Amino acid sequence: MTSPHIPGPDVGDAGGDGTGRDLDQLLALVARGDQTAFEAVYDRLAGPVFGLICKVVRDPAQSEEVAQEVLLEIWRSASRFDPVKSSATTWAMMIAHRRAVDRVRSATAEVLRDKKSAVAAVAPDIDEVAEAVEANLERERVRRCLGTLTDIQREALTLAYYGGYTYRDVARLLNVALGTIKTRIRDGLIRMRDCIGVSW
Amino acid sequence: MKLLRHDLHTLTGAYALDAIDGVERERFEHHLNRCQSCGQEVRGLQETATRLALAVARVPPPGLKAAVLAGAARTRQHSPLSDTRPTAEPRLVRRPRVAVAFAAVATVLVVVLAVALVLQRRQLNSERAEQRAVAAVLAAPDARILTGPASVGGTATIVVAARRHELVFTSAGLPVLASSKVYQLWLIGPSGAASAGLLPEASQGRTAPVLASGLVPGDEVGVTVEPAGGTRQPTTKPIVLIKVAS
Repeated sequence: MTSPHIPGPDVGDAGGDGTGRDLDQLLALVARGDQTAFEAVYDRLAGPVFGLICKVVRDPAQSEEVAQEVLLEIWRSASRFDPVKSSATTWAMMIAHRRAVDRVRSATAEVLRDKKSAVAAVAPDIDEVAEAVEANLERERVRRCLGTLTDIQREALTLAYYGGYTYRDVARLLNVALGTIKTRIRDGLIRMRDCIGVSW
Repeated sequence: MKLLRHDLHTLTGAYALDAIDGVERERFEHHLNRCQSCGQEVRGLQETATRLALAVARVPPPGLKAAVLAGAARTRQHSPLSDTRPTAEPRLVRRPRVAVAFAAVATVLVVVLAVALVLQRRQLNSERAEQRAVAAVLAAPDARILTGPASVGGTATIVVAARRHELVFTSAGLPVLASSKVYQLWLIGPSGAASAGLLPEASQGRTAPVLASGLVPGDEVGVTVEPAGGTRQPTTKPIVLIKVAS
């Protein structure tokens, strides 16, 4: 496979780019204005940040714009990262997802896409080798674990996370009661957590 | 819009995926501040969402890096929300200089306040004596703060009152253990390790202060993972080791 290498944080934020530092330590340096450390942070996070934003925002030009905002936000707020509350990668991904979601929710508030196209649009690109991550263990594991969910759990989860819909929109799209969708999202995510083996 | 407690709890998933907005989000966050088990669950689910993100990573456009680095060079950074520099440093902090004494005193105050809050919630009379002992360590004129990272994630902070031969140990962010295991605290000197008790179960990621007596200059403070109930001698490699300089 000739897929390009996407630098990304490996599981647990351990350093893998020769700096010998993990993301937590790099962020602590960035918080003090260290631009070299920020470049290392960029190398670890740009791929995951850009990928997630593309998934939610879809339009490539807009995605690049949002990714730039997010990466600068990471530079600006590095001092506010708290390792007690989340891992460094999760802190960054929460910023990225929030920004991406803000962009699409303001744009598509009234135009709720119909279920079929919405579900199709957010299905993870399982067969798209063109975009494959080189060390794609993570991708493979997520794909496999998504496969263990019920259809409604999987649709609800992907619509909410990759589609950027609120759970209320998801309920409307899937034509399921609000209470049901809340539980499906939670149950699905818990199942994913246990399947992937996330320990926190 | 009325939400029952049970309904709120089932929102952990939607919250972790950013799928709640507005008032509902605020209400849930308010609930989260008071619900320990929700906080724990949300963190695990947020880490899970991160895996979903990593699975769709893509090569960023070629121009992005230069644009971001140039942007950073001319963008002013936020200051930290609160000034707690000695504890924010994740590595072992050992600064005997007078210049930092002031900052250390400020941090002692922060810890005192945090401990006071924890203590306030405890209502058992039997714990009063230990509370007074903890307070005495924190108020000792020679109190010093040392922090060290845990190899498994998280940070340990100790306040040492060398002349009293006592210390107070707290931690933040240590992984939650299975119920068959506990974290055990040790004072380790040239003649071996002495148990200084078990760490209580964490509340919102932080363990309540544990008082340890019998500290000798040159001791190391260590934490190991042991079977529930603890052991007489450490049986595993310490996950935290902080040297208390004399």
